[in-house]
Amino acid sequence: MTSRSENTYMMPANNYGKLAIVIALIGILLSTFGFVKDPGQFFHSYLVAYVFWVTISLGALFFLLMHHVTGAFWSVSLRHVVESIVATIPLMAILWIPIGFGIHDLYHWSHESVMASDKLLAAKAPYLNTTFFVIRTLIYFIIWGFISYKLRSLSKRTKSNNDILSMRKVSAVGTVFYALTVSFAMFDWLMSLDPHWYSTIYGVYLFGGAYLNGIAMVILVIAALKSLNLLTTEVTSEHYQDLGKLLFGFVVFWAYISASQYFLIWYGNIPEETIWFKRRWEGTWKAFSLSMIAVGFIVPFFALMFRAAKRNLVFLSSICLLLFVAHWMDMYWNVMPGFHRGNVSLSWIDLSTMVALGGLFFWTVWRSLASRSLIPLNDPYLNKSISHKNF
Amino acid sequence: MGNPVNMTNHKPKQSADSSAGAIIEETPLIAGNHTFSSITEKISGVIEGPTPKMWWVLFSFSVSLLLILVGSVGFLIWEGTGIWGLNSPVGWGWAIVNFVFWVGIGHAGTLISAVLHLFRQKWRTSINRFAEAMTIFAVICALLFPTIHVGRIWVLYWFFPIPNQMSMWPNFRSPLLWDVFAVSIYFTVSLLFWYVGLVPDIATLRDRAKTRGKKIIYGILSLGWRGANRHWRHYELGYLILAGLSTPLVLSVHSVVSTDFATSIIPGWHTTIFPPYFVAGAIFSGFAMVMTLAIIARKAFGMEEFITVNHLEKMAKIIMVTGLMVGYAYSIEFFIAWYSGNDYERFTFINRALGPYAWAYWIMVSCNVIIPQFFWSKKLRTNVTVLFILSIFVNIGMWFERFVIITSSLSRDYLPSSWDYYSPSIWDIATFVGSFGLFFTLFLLFLRFLPMISMAEVKGVLPQADPHHPMYQKSGEAHENK
Repeated sequence: MTSRSENTYMMPANNYGKLAIVIALIGILLSTFGFVKDPGQFFHSYLVAYVFWVTISLGALFFLLMHHVTGAFWSVSLRHVVESIVATIPLMAILWIPIGFGIHDLYHWSHESVMASDKLLAAKAPYLNTTFFVIRTLIYFIIWGFISYKLRSLSKRTKSNNDILSMRKVSAVGTVFYALTVSFAMFDWLMSLDPHWYSTIYGVYLFGGAYLNGIAMVILVIAALKSLNLLTTEVTSEHYQDLGKLLFGFVVFWAYISASQYFLIWYGNIPEETIWFKRRWEGTWKAFSLSMIAVGFIVPFFALMFRAAKRNLVFLSSICLLLFVAHWMDMYWNVMPGFHRGNVSLSWIDLSTMVALGGLFFWTVWRSLASRSLIPLNDPYLNKSISHKNF
Repeated sequence: MGNPVNMTNHKPKQSADSSAGAIIEETPLIAGNHTFSSITEKISGVIEGPTPKMWWVLFSFSVSLLLILVGSVGFLIWEGTGIWGLNSPVGWGWAIVNFVFWVGIGHAGTLISAVLHLFRQKWRTSINRFAEAMTIFAVICALLFPTIHVGRIWVLYWFFPIPNQMSMWPNFRSPLLWDVFAVSIYFTVSLLFWYVGLVPDIATLRDRAKTRGKKIIYGILSLGWRGANRHWRHYELGYLILAGLSTPLVLSVHSVVSTDFATSIIPGWHTTIFPPYFVAGAIFSGFAMVMTLAIIARKAFGMEEFITVNHLEKMAKIIMVTGLMVGYAYSIEFFIAWYSGNDYERFTFINRALGPYAWAYWIMVSCNVIIPQFFWSKKLRTNVTVLFILSIFVNIGMWFERFVIITSSLSRDYLPSSWDYYSPSIWDIATFVGSFGLFFTLFLLFLRFLPMISMAEVKGVLPQADPHHPMYQKSGEAHENK
């Protein structure tokens, strides 16, 4: 085994972090102005941006969990990159606070008068009430925070097989909690926007998008590091190809799950369910819905089919950016039709909140990357991962 | 695997070091210091040797069960579906339960051969052959049930979109028609996949055959395979393409089966999670069946060195994961039924847990959710006896899952005046038991006439299949400059 020194794998000083925080500050400034001007729009835009970024951190967390549970070695040299994305979870907990303040603007069920006058909603009151909603969110973040903290601290001192096995154990149990908390978080934050509507697959559907874009974020962070001439030999086209395969698989998974949801509701044709899709089929929403299929499925599906496409980082990154567009559309499509009935109505606050949260997100990722070596130097699988080949 | 040479930066012929966890799990995939020739001897020996007495005993028993099937299906065709326990709200009884049960069992074979192949899981090589065989036989059993359920079996061809003078066209919006397509495509692709994988092994049997009859039959079936480099290249590519084609089928077939229920508006059936939930359940039940059969076969034919405890443990893990997915679906369904605020939805689930079919519901929950939790313990999931017993529980649980879904929802739907309790007739039971006869008859014939473990693929995961193996260091300089 070749020995690698810590210093050569530390990220050299660069401006990416500063750039991110400057962009974040501009975004925050504009968004604050947006909040003053139009709180209703602000909170909805904020929720779209928030779920966009939080699902990416959660997707990366799932990537990490699967890495450990399956005992994968090919992704060892990516592990610190993945962990740096997972490091945004505490930030996401803090960034949830504005949603707590916007609860009356966002969620109809938070108004007691509405609940009392509606028989169906009254039946849900034990679950859909402000106190329990906040408590649940707190529980989700405690669980996610604990899993990610535990995995990151174990990862820091990974030297032997025993360390790897203990990460595997944490991940196995963590995955069970992850599945339940992510589903319920999505029921709470997104599905309850339309408190009458329900769909059992909803948690799986948002998980699919989350994991897909978590993978995409891993690829983009690698691309950013490569642009600084880092990880030149440690992450190779073999890794891109495997990441690309995962990406391809989950493009299909996301499409499969969302199509299942749509299809069964369309076929059943029960008004209390179809209303949700009807809102997304009115006016310009129809074009929006259809273009989401093209951007989120058709284009990436064909683009990622080719081996050469998956092995070219520039091409792969541009597909990831396209998937981010699709993911943003997906989140927008989940949140906004209840607020902007009839037609899509884009606002500059949609952009400013995305930029604000995105800047903070990247700043956190970058700080985490700078805090230690870019690859887990003492991991016994590192060499195996670096020399990994697809067949 | 496990030899120090693999640690260096090179590309072995079949990337033998690419299975996950090689450093932690030092245990080689194949135990007992086998060589290429000893593998051939061992696996072909089962087919070439004299028929064991036990085989005849089991075969006679299976054929007897098969005769029960023939008898009960014959009577059904003569008399009509009235001989079953079906009643007015419960128009789908055991026949559809059995259909879904058998289709589900089939899924493990495809998952092992296709998905695990794409995931570079080398351990699949010891179990894929008979898991694929199991898939095909299970799908045959599955196809039987809707076929006989239509009542007028002689007009079955109406299912197919064949132009005819009556201008009869199947209803393309009916999920039952999708089943026809989905399951028959699945059967065709699985059969092809299985057969393609068999070709090199059949050629081995042809070369070893002593009688003229065997030479001719195996000769025809092996399609002129000579093991040439070109043959292998085409084979590997063809296998990969079939794996790629089969992977979506793993998801699509059971998703389509789930739409038989989910496209209706019956509470407990109409729920959006059904497609992925059915797929997870299918893999869950299929792996349990593979486990049951693998444990019997390895014992009966002394294949413990090929199907090691390591293999069984990995299967146990998949059973646990898919069991958790099924448990997730049960809980989410229950929660959303409550969350919907819809009285009918809520009633259906309370009725399942506490109503007249509560016994079946709790069998389902115990077998599918509680039992697999034992696999968290390494001690239990490496104990062959425990694995055998638990895998049978899972088989039972998954049959009950379909029973609960079908019967409890139908027997108490919207109108209390039309409620009725369903219980099977003797013919339902005879047909179900008989289907096991069909399954095991086919399976025993397979064990007798075809190699139950893929010789060619198992050889590929031996350490000496790696051209850089120390064994070749003295003589084989030729490999270095490839």
